[in-house]
Amino acid sequence: MAQPQSIRPQSPGSYETGQSTISSRNPTDWSVGWKSLFWGCALVMGANIFLWFWDYEFAFTAGLNSASPEFSLYFRSLFWGELITLGVFTGVWYGWIIRTGREIAGQPYERSEEVRRIAVLWSIIGVTSLSIYIEASFWPNWDGSWHQTMVRDTALTPTHIPMFYFFFPLSVVLALGAYLYGMYRIPALYSREKGFPWSFFLLITAAVLECMEVAFNEWGHSLWISEEFFAVPFHWPFVAYGWLASGMFAVWGETILRLFEIEKAEEEANTIAPSRPQAVAD
Amino acid sequence: MAAATTPAALAEAQRRLELRALLQKKYKWIDGKWDLVFWITAIFVVAGAADITKQLFAGDWDFWTDWKDPQWWPVITAFATIIIPSALQYIQWAAWRFPTGATYTAVCFFMAAWVGRYFQWHVAESYPMNFVWPISTVCAAIILDWILMKTKSFILTSLIGAPIWALLVWAFNYIPLAPFLQPAHFMQHVLTVSDVQGIVYIRSQTPEYLRHIERGALRSFLGETQYVSLAFGGTLAVAGYWIGQFIGRYLAVWPIRRYIKTL
Repeated sequence: MAQPQSIRPQSPGSYETGQSTISSRNPTDWSVGWKSLFWGCALVMGANIFLWFWDYEFAFTAGLNSASPEFSLYFRSLFWGELITLGVFTGVWYGWIIRTGREIAGQPYERSEEVRRIAVLWSIIGVTSLSIYIEASFWPNWDGSWHQTMVRDTALTPTHIPMFYFFFPLSVVLALGAYLYGMYRIPALYSREKGFPWSFFLLITAAVLECMEVAFNEWGHSLWISEEFFAVPFHWPFVAYGWLASGMFAVWGETILRLFEIEKAEEEANTIAPSRPQAVAD
Repeated sequence: MAAATTPAALAEAQRRLELRALLQKKYKWIDGKWDLVFWITAIFVVAGAADITKQLFAGDWDFWTDWKDPQWWPVITAFATIIIPSALQYIQWAAWRFPTGATYTAVCFFMAAWVGRYFQWHVAESYPMNFVWPISTVCAAIILDWILMKTKSFILTSLIGAPIWALLVWAFNYIPLAPFLQPAHFMQHVLTVSDVQGIVYIRSQTPEYLRHIERGALRSFLGETQYVSLAFGGTLAVAGYWIGQFIGRYLAVWPIRRYIKTL
């Protein structure tokens, strides 16, 4: 079990002069702590743009009849491609988080490093937020316009495939990945000894419930109301996702409080034992 | 200056100085980037939550001009659209004393709705924008935030602001809707322009039995139907406001640093 990591009081000298790659740069520089935010958002937006153009190109030409060979070629293959891609990404990413997390468990780290890790956590949360928007607003709009216009003959419709079977599970992967990252790298907040945080419980529950609601939705459309009426009762549980995702604000809140604690500790350390450069300056 | 000589005034002046010093305090790592990242990345989750809440509770009445009727549209739209603004009002007021949560949400929601409506309804499915334009709640949200700022009370904001929200969401969106309620002669019948749009642009999978939505005993109220709906919409908006407060208080703020203890 990962032990809570101790924080080594940072030497301002090492921070300023750069004894290591990480501590030599400001952890809140855009190219340091926030790099993951830009790369993550770029990847998610890239996937979204690809899927939108795929549907735009093939939905009307190959997506109307699920029994046709064209549908299998363009949409069933897309469905499996999405799941395989997501599965591989999840395995690689989680594997990296857990493997490297176990390696650094118990090792001391500087305050600036914890600040950088919190910035990375915020980056993952930011990407999760983008994924939530795409799955809760962007694709449901096309799903609405498609299903209020086209006859559905499968649960794997052209708009469901990107939304239900890529972005829905992607949000689960991102939310759970954010927690794993925090558990292994920000033990002051998310170590196992503290218990499971309510913030992540709500966020992860939201994403998981959303996937389970897909089953209710398809069941409802198969024998209750086959037509598309957006305010139909078996759509309502989808709303719970947007509400429970409020747990994201709790993640932001508790990490902000932690940042203030780190700043206070740094200030006290500098007050008690001013570093050599500071003493010279004084 | 004379007022500053009393102990209370001196304490207040001291408190203000401390707050000012705190505001101008320089931190080593906490800088404006955290604010920027927070406010920008939160746009997405707020927009998604607001849009999915509106779509799945009242979406059909917002998708089309011919569904923006005087009976149901003012009632359920007010309820569905106030929930997330209320939650953000609580979060932003509790965290920063910013009376801006509803406006922030409304702007996020407005952008998300237009992106969705333009790319997914207009570009992808070829519906004209003047048939599928989304409503805006920005003006009503500014007023709701103003009421919170003046009353400093969530109870008063719910009791005063939520009914006003219902009225204003309808009123401000009636302006773009009005042209589509003008009479048109179509196949030997007098219909509204929005009715003609609903006939011309096919919605083959929308239940036929749900198209003629103006029915029921409210018709006997004749011209009063709209006002009865708005009054009921205002009542439901109060309930929606407190659902939003529950989300803000217990799903966003209460969980901060609370843990489910392991055995």
